[in-house]
Formats: sequence, C-alpha cells, structure tokens
Amino acid sequence: MRLIIRDDPPAVGDYIAQYISKRINDFEPTAEKPFVLGLPTGSSPIPTYKALIALVKAGKLSFKHVVTFNMDEYVGLPQEHSESYHTFMFREFFSHVDIPPSQVNILNGNAEDLIAECNAYEAKIKSYGGIELFLGGIGEDGHIAFNEPGSSLASRTRIKTLAYDTILANARFFNNDVSAVPRMALTVGVQTVLDSREVVVVVTGLRKSLALSKAIEEGVNHLWTLSALQLHPWALIVADEDATAELHVKTVKYFQSIERVQEEVVRNQEALKAKGRMVQAGIAGHEQDYQE
Amino acid sequence: MSNGLVCFTNCLLFQEDGTLAEKDLWIDQEKGVILDAQATFFARKERPTSLVDLGGNILSPGLIDIQINGAYSFDFSIFDGDEKAYSDGLGDVARKIVETGVTSFVPTTITQEKALYPTLLRLLRPVSAPGSACVLGWHAEGPFIDMAKRGAHAPSFLQTAPEGFKSFEELYGAANLVDTKTWLESYGHSSDVGVRIITAAPEVDGVMGAVAELDKRGVVYSIGHSIAHSDTAALAVRNGARLITHLFNAMPQLHHRDPSIIGLLGASPHLTSSFEPIVGHGIYSGAQSPTTAAASRSLGAFASPPPGSEAFHEMDTPPQTPLKRTETMSVSKDFQRPFYELIVDGIHSHPNSVRLAYSAFPEGCILITDAMKILDPHLKDGTHEWRDGKRFVKEGDKLYLEGTDTLAGSVVTLDKCVRNFVKFTGCSFGDALKCATLNPAKCLGIENRKGSLRPGADADLVVFDKHGFPLRTWVKGKEAWSNGWSL
Repeated sequence: MRLIIRDDPPAVGDYIAQYISKRINDFEPTAEKPFVLGLPTGSSPIPTYKALIALVKAGKLSFKHVVTFNMDEYVGLPQEHSESYHTFMFREFFSHVDIPPSQVNILNGNAEDLIAECNAYEAKIKSYGGIELFLGGIGEDGHIAFNEPGSSLASRTRIKTLAYDTILANARFFNNDVSAVPRMALTVGVQTVLDSREVVVVVTGLRKSLALSKAIEEGVNHLWTLSALQLHPWALIVADEDATAELHVKTVKYFQSIERVQEEVVRNQEALKAKGRMVQAGIAGHEQDYQE
Repeated sequence: MSNGLVCFTNCLLFQEDGTLAEKDLWIDQEKGVILDAQATFFARKERPTSLVDLGGNILSPGLIDIQINGAYSFDFSIFDGDEKAYSDGLGDVARKIVETGVTSFVPTTITQEKALYPTLLRLLRPVSAPGSACVLGWHAEGPFIDMAKRGAHAPSFLQTAPEGFKSFEELYGAANLVDTKTWLESYGHSSDVGVRIITAAPEVDGVMGAVAELDKRGVVYSIGHSIAHSDTAALAVRNGARLITHLFNAMPQLHHRDPSIIGLLGASPHLTSSFEPIVGHGIYSGAQSPTTAAASRSLGAFASPPPGSEAFHEMDTPPQTPLKRTETMSVSKDFQRPFYELIVDGIHSHPNSVRLAYSAFPEGCILITDAMKILDPHLKDGTHEWRDGKRFVKEGDKLYLEGTDTLAGSVVTLDKCVRNFVKFTGCSFGDALKCATLNPAKCLGIENRKGSLRPGADADLVVFDKHGFPLRTWVKGKEAWSNGWSL
C-alpha cells in the first residue's frame, strides 16, 4: 500500500487528478479498449473532480474513451432529486467533461427489481474486463462506498441498509431532516472494489483520521471496511495533514519515505519503457510492469 | 456530427432567485427550447455537440417589454387602413428590437376611435418570426380610463362601460376577447387571439364589474389612468386585477391617509384578520390562556388589548384621523399584491421613487419602456418629426415637444432600464434582470415558456457584458443579433 500525504484537500485533489490523468494517458484508451474508471460521490472527491475538469479544459486529458462506474446510489430517490448521486455526478463532473453519456454507468435505485439491477451491474463491469482504477472516499466509520461497518469483505454489488451514522451525516443534505434521508442504497461491494486493478482512496479532514488509522494501522476488519484495502496489491491512499492526526509518527514517516522510493521506481520504469519502445514499439500491457 | 444541441458555457447564468451562477445552459437548437441538461444526459444519453464559450459574460433569459407604444419610427397606435403596411411596421420593430435584448413584447395601443379597435387588435395577434422578437399579443390602454388622468389619450374617445364586460366586448370586439386560457399551448400561430393586458380605471362606470370576467378569461386587467381611492383599488385587486400600469404616472400621488393605487404596494396579505397582537399566538402563553386568546380573536381588531402590551393602548383612544373601517380592512386572507410597471428612465419616476417601490414589493416589479415610436438606439439627439405636423426634441432619454418643456413620452430602451435600475436601487444585476424577464412573464402567466431558463422554455437568450450592455441575442435557439462581439 502507498500513502501519500499532502497539505490540504485541494493539494490532495491535484495530486490524484494528475495521477489519474497520467494513468489514463499512459493507457492510451481507444473506443475498442476504453479505460474503465470507478468513481465515488461525497465531499472528499470534489477537489479531485475540479482538478480533473481543469485538465480536460486545458486539453491535457480526455474522457472520450473512458467508461465510468459509480459506486452507489440511493434507493427510491428520484434521479433528478438534488441529492441523488446522478445529480451529484452530473453537477460536479459529467457536465463539465467530454464523456459520452453512453459510457456513464450509475446504479438505478428506482429499478423495479433491485437485485437484478445489482447483478446486471456486476456483469457489465465484467464485460469491460473489470475496472482499471477505482477512485474512492471513506466515511467517518471507515466505510468504502456504502459498505457500512459489518459488511462482508467478500461482498459484491447489492442492496444495503445505511448505518445510522451515515443517515445522520447525510441529513445535512436533506434540510437536516433525518426522516427524509433514504434508508437504503445500492452499492458496489468491498470485493467489487478489490477486484479492480488499482484502488485510489481520498481521505481528507480531521474527522476521517480515526478511520484512516483503523484502516491502515490495524488488522483487516469488517467494522472498518476500508481496511480490506490491505489485501489489495496496488492500492494508494492520498490524505491531507488533518487526516493523519490519529496515525503514529512512525507510520507517517514510513510512508513518506516510500513516496520517494516510489517516485524513483516510476522514473526508472519510464526510462526503461521508453527504451523498450524504441526497440519494439507498440507493445501494450506495460502499465502493470511495476506491479509485480 | 452535430446533434443540434448547444451548450453555453463559461458564463454567469441567471437564476430565479436573482443571483448569477457559474453554470452551463443546454438548449435544443432545432426545437428552439431550453433543455433539462441532466435528463438529456442520463435519459436521452446525449450531450451537446457544439459549445458556445461566452467568455465569462452574463447569460439571461430574453427581456420582455409588456408596455411599448412603438419603436423605430413605427407607432402601434396609428393605423391608416393599410393592413400590410401595419404588419410590416410591426415586423420591422420585432426584427430590430432584439438589439436591446428584448425577445418578446406586448405592443400597446393608446385610446383609439371606437371603429378602429376590431381591425387594429386583429393585426396585433401573436406572431413569432424567425430572428425577430416574439409579439405576445396586445396591451390596450383605454378607452375605459379616467378623464382626470387621461394623459395623452384623446378625451373625445374615452368611454364608460355601463354594461360591464359586455361593453368591453362591444368595444374591443367579442372575437378579440374570447377565452384565451389556452393561448400558451398554441401561441405563435397567427390564428391566436391576442388580448393580453387591458388598462382601465376601476372607478369608471362598469369597469369594476368586468374585472372578474377578464381575469377568468386569462386577460391581465391592469389598474391605470385612474384616480381610484384605496378601497376601490383594493377591491379591483380582490376581483382579479393583476397589474398596475406605469406606477406613479397617471394616478394620484401617495397620500398617507388614502394611498390610492400606489398604496397597494404596501398592502399586507394579513389585512383581513382581525388584527391580532402577538399575544394572540401564544408567545406570552404565561400571560394569556388559550381561551382568552381565542376570545380576543373573536372580538376583532380593536377590542381592548390584553394587558402588558403598552404599545397597543393607543387603540383605546383612536388616532385623530377617523379610521375608515371599510371593506378594505377585511379583504380575504390571500390578498395578493398586484405586479406594477415602472418606467426606469430616470425621468418618468425619480430614482428615489423607483427604490421606494422596489423596496416595498420586489417580487411585483416589472420594468417597461412605455416607449414612443421614436425609440431607436441609433437616433441622434436633435429635432425630429412627430405627428400632425408637430416636432419633438430628443435630448438623451428626454423627449420634449418642440418649443415646450412638456415631456412627450419615453425613448429609453429596456436594457438601459435594467442598468438604471441597478443604479437606482442598488440591487444586483440579476435582481434587475428578474424585473425584466421572470416578473413580467409571471404576470402574464407564461413563465414556463418565456422569461425564464426553465427546461422546455423557449431558448430566448441575451448575453450581457459585465456592465449590462447586450452583446448577443438568441430567439428560439437561433442567433438573432450580435454587436460583433466574439471571443
């Protein structure tokens, strides 16, 4: 696992946007071979979306050949409701970038058969050959997507009842009316996230600091579902200073030291790749070179 | 490959709360309507193939002028028998006026000879030509107006309406007043009936009795050219009056004991009630039991006040002016103040008066030009021909009869009114735009089609620069005018 620490949320957003941008551009996606990206909602990823939009507007990045899968959506909330995740994604991201609508996938919380909707979602992800990079955020209780504490770490896309904490936290988006917050959601499972080839998680703010500590300094535990990330071979957490408040000093120092090593490895790999290309241009699959 | 959808981006978009927001607007250029962007994206699975970068300028719904007497040398009130020439003149105004940001207007006629009405009003039916502002129908000022406040209207043509609505039908032509509730679904077709607004004085014999019927038929009855007392004015509103014609002009000035028509802006929706001091609502529940609260309600407004509220003791000894406890004091609870028109040229209403009215009732404010045929932003100052051999002198936005200091009407453009309004009231540009877009549309009941950026509304749009000057105008999704500005 890699943990990158930046000063504040905008710096975290910039880092992740640059990171994702590089991954997409290196992938050289085409209509036949699109880049498959998993996306979250919530306040933490907003700086990342802003930075990605800026890159698109500057012509440095395109979503023409990117297929997205969103993590979750409320059940029973109309799609056009101001707090639906459809509305969020359109407002904060999709309306500003050049992604074709047909390449956007968000669970339908108003489907007649919710279980069939979830199964079809998993199947669709599989049809694209799985998710290349899943971007995520976490809740104060360490949940990733709507995989609340106690969720099976082997779970797949399904109906979930929201934890009371999450309902309270989301009430601020529903006029502070707890009774107006939907009780259920459709969400990708922990295993769905772990199946993707890379996972990048935004963790910002003091209130997330305990969850971060639980997720990376203690054992794998279904009460802090983000901790399942410890089982993933290529995970990246990007946190701001505030979010590190509960971490041990030595944890922080360790990860800071591997950031430097990581940079060096990436540089070397790129040099090698450049050389390799000169010899046998057009070889694909290079993006996994330094994963093993 | 174009799908006919256009996205306006990099702009400050008009919001209905009067703010401007950094948002995009999606329109369907083929259909000429504004889109629900999110539904287009998720349900239609489409996004605009063309992008219009507005360079950070302001994007507003097209302006609506609901009182304009003429422009570009064409006077809506003058019909010499040549129907084609009249229609051409009207079309000419509609084509040119888009340069002032106006994308729809209600041509207004002053009092005419009775015989002229049926033809004239038939010629003023709604019409919407490509690249031109939409003619929404007509606004007739007079002839049912008060002699004392006739303004420029010919005294010999003024009328009373002894038979109420029947007199209206007789004068304007029954065919011109048929039920127009459904005009929105079909407007734009030349077969439509064009009655939108009738200005009449409620105190003129028979007018009051016709108000309810006009309202029922979807006609905006507007109080104007009148010396109505406060009670009469309020009664007219209760009967269905929705508008006040050029507030402050052609009506009694504000008198604090009988504020007349202007006073409607101060009318409380709670006039009804037996006036209940706060204690009646149980705020001081310790001092007053629910039973006494109920008792004081049934006793009505001026029953002896409950103990402890010294401010109300005055009610025991009536103020010097006898309180006229007329009908006005007991209008129904949902008394809705009417919209009111303001000519914001800085001449017809003093800036302070404009601000006073707006502060009293911002939601009801509608900016109009009330412009004469002289309106033409390209016309130079100096002496020009008017009518009947008379000439006028134009000095900026002021217009005098030659050799006099009599104001001969307004020549201000609506976009200038918007800029003036910001200066006079200190409101935001978005708030001022609202008074020239959403408010007039609401008054006419067409806010889902005109004067707003709601999904499904006509894509009538104006781009303003940061100083409030129009840069480009679109009508039904097609660019109708540009000052040459481009990014």
